[in-house]
Amino acid sequence: MSASSSQALEYLELLPGSVHKKLYDQPSTALAIFRCMLPHLAKTIVMAMLYMTGPFPANDLDAWFRSDAKREKDKAISVLERLHIIMLRQETSNQISYQLTKRFAQSLRQALTGGGTHRSFGVPSNQPDAKRVDKAFLDEYARKQWENILFYMVGSTVGLADSNALGRDVGEGTKALLKAGDFVRIAHGRVHITRTGFEFVLQEVNAQVWSLLIVYLKHASQLNMSETDVLSFLFMLGSLELGQDYTTTTLSPTQLQMLEDLSAFGIVYRSSKEASTFYPTRLATTLTSDSVSLSTSEPITNSLSSAGHRAGKGYIIIETNYRLYAYTSSLLQIAVLSLFTKLTTRFPNLVSGKLTKESITRAVRLGISSSQILSYLSAHAHPQMQKNSPVLPPTVMDQIRLWEYEGERVETHNGFLMKDFGSESEFRELLEYAESLGVLVWKNEEKRVFFVDRVEQISLYLNNKKRTQDR
Amino acid sequence: MNAIDGTDRHIKTDEAPPPSLLAIVLDTNPHAWAHLSSTLPLSSAIANLLVFINAHLASGNANEVAVIASHTHRAAWLYPIPQSTTLPTSQNGTSNGDMETNGAPTEPSVPENPNKYRPFAIIEKAILSNFAKLLDTTKESDLASTPTTLVGGALSLALSYIAKSTLLHSPVDPLATDNPLSALADSETMHAQRTPLTSRVLVISVSGDLANQYIPVMNAIFAAQRRRIPIDILKLAGDTVLLQQACDATGGIYMKPERPEGLLQYLMMGFLPDATARRSLVMPSAGGVDFRAACFCHRKVVDIGYVCSVCLSIFCTPNLPDNLCLTCGSYLSLAQAQTATPAVIPRQRKKKKKRVGGTDSATPGGSTPAGSGTPVHT
Repeated sequence: MSASSSQALEYLELLPGSVHKKLYDQPSTALAIFRCMLPHLAKTIVMAMLYMTGPFPANDLDAWFRSDAKREKDKAISVLERLHIIMLRQETSNQISYQLTKRFAQSLRQALTGGGTHRSFGVPSNQPDAKRVDKAFLDEYARKQWENILFYMVGSTVGLADSNALGRDVGEGTKALLKAGDFVRIAHGRVHITRTGFEFVLQEVNAQVWSLLIVYLKHASQLNMSETDVLSFLFMLGSLELGQDYTTTTLSPTQLQMLEDLSAFGIVYRSSKEASTFYPTRLATTLTSDSVSLSTSEPITNSLSSAGHRAGKGYIIIETNYRLYAYTSSLLQIAVLSLFTKLTTRFPNLVSGKLTKESITRAVRLGISSSQILSYLSAHAHPQMQKNSPVLPPTVMDQIRLWEYEGERVETHNGFLMKDFGSESEFRELLEYAESLGVLVWKNEEKRVFFVDRVEQISLYLNNKKRTQDR
Repeated sequence: MNAIDGTDRHIKTDEAPPPSLLAIVLDTNPHAWAHLSSTLPLSSAIANLLVFINAHLASGNANEVAVIASHTHRAAWLYPIPQSTTLPTSQNGTSNGDMETNGAPTEPSVPENPNKYRPFAIIEKAILSNFAKLLDTTKESDLASTPTTLVGGALSLALSYIAKSTLLHSPVDPLATDNPLSALADSETMHAQRTPLTSRVLVISVSGDLANQYIPVMNAIFAAQRRRIPIDILKLAGDTVLLQQACDATGGIYMKPERPEGLLQYLMMGFLPDATARRSLVMPSAGGVDFRAACFCHRKVVDIGYVCSVCLSIFCTPNLPDNLCLTCGSYLSLAQAQTATPAVIPRQRKKKKKRVGGTDSATPGGSTPAGSGTPVHT
């Protein structure tokens, strides 16, 4: 599970159970959720249970895990429960067992065996297309569209060009979406990037696509589109084959409408608005595979990762003396770098500069956090830097953090305060449970209070406990 | 200020488990499968195996699989086929690997099926067609010549494929990848810790009586042990000392299901978890392992053997031709060494016969059958 898919996971978890059930009707969706949303151990559990004839007793599950891995097990189980993939069943008074949700199990089995007539993995077009396009064209198309969007967001802040020219290539719908997602704000006719916008720009491409799509999903209902339809179409896109044309005749009206929006993002390509076929681009086919597979399997993809025309992925070199060299000629990359770097020289294929206290604090004031800067730098580090461990020089990493912490002393979390415990043992028990779920943020043992950022499972746990005590 | 200390320097620790390569060695010995046909026919075993492979591929986005058939007279690739250009998903990126030396590329046209995830379809098609090809080329004479299977060769194929994939996965400068030699040199200096690929071998074995391949199999085991590649064994029928030792030495899983028809569930529960998941699971192990070795001269499993003091070869009898070690050719006076042992025994007075044997043994070969007949057991 990568950073990009964890965003989507968070969104999925918040959906109600009825939406989950509808989603799981499609084998492609079930498979995509299994492949990219679940933590590793959860996958193991699901696969072990998939062909089991009966429910899996909780005691047996506990016995299967090592005692020191209880924490990981609880986490995996809690994700599975939140996604309504497994259900708890009360067999007898003191025996609990787990069971896969019927629809999910059925769909996943179908996906693995390739049976059924659901046609959810995309129907390829059987007519030869006169205007067939190749993979290189699709990559170029996707890159151009996506870069335009990013450039639209970053451009005016760094003052590279006048803002009117920037938005020229970005569709009105996309602009509205960026505004709705609070990525940009328009004031006095100029585009201003927001804090979430910075977060967006500094992410990997895959994560960016997901962030934009999640905004799209949230606004889908306003456009009279059903969330399930949109989601299952996205998951289907993720299982398509690059360079293959697919027919639009089997798509629902909602999905046809989506195609138009998605081609504006560069996620799919259509030769014209009335074309009966569409091509998924690499942005689409990598939706459900994480960035690891991008970097290892197909070197071509790296050209997608923001503008670099070189085959290599990274282009930034940082020395321990805070000097930064970036082998790039792309205006977008230079614009992003200039958000937090004091750039001094520019050569045809190289810009150089320095990370200074001023440049970092300026970035922090704009709303960029130090961890965003660090993750951007390490994600785009030059192959020579990638060989080091850690990738960035430790002094630079620490100093960037220190510069940020100078200004920020308070951290905020939204969540719930648990207090007024009856006894010490009760407090300890719940505290340990919260810790094992990984939701604990802060605790004070003297006052018997602690703070969690999620409360659903704790309340479920408390209810269960209360019920057993009443009995 | 506490947040800035050395411990959370690794801000981008990879949460995702490393991609895992599963090399499956499928024992396709027709004799043994014929035995099993009442409970688990080969066709359904392969169907189960395909579902298992799909499950493995689905468990990690960068997961890979390699399938090798260990047949009666040869070990054959089922997937990937030994041409890097034929399959887009096989990851033989280099231009001159040893995988693409033979044959003209035959692009398998996989029919587009809207009901099937395409990567699954490609692998399934490749495995089935290659398997059919393997069975078609098997002649009766091949079957008659041997009742067993070439598991040693298949293991070596699997290990060499794993070694190659690991090299291809290690993070090297993309500029250097067009020169595989520099990649080789680099991997030595950069050390194995940075290689993101974890691999394991799964042997689905149905034949017994593998003792005649003791040496190649043991060598494969030691190679795997050195590279920390666990060898998992699923023993559907027959029992061999050898394979049990393989998983014991490499830290793999040994399972001998009582009901072979439940193959898929055994696979899913026991063999699907990769190295990352195994760290938090209780995995089945071999229990009591039979550590007996097979002799180098007749390939028999022996309780007590005679070991060459120079090359450590094992023999079931001290009666070697010309008293020369069969492996290294050193002169061994095994017969004389044996006379020394009975010389201690006469104090017990009961075993007079032994003494007679001992004196006789000046003529080599005379008493050796009695000598090799495991005196400990009497």
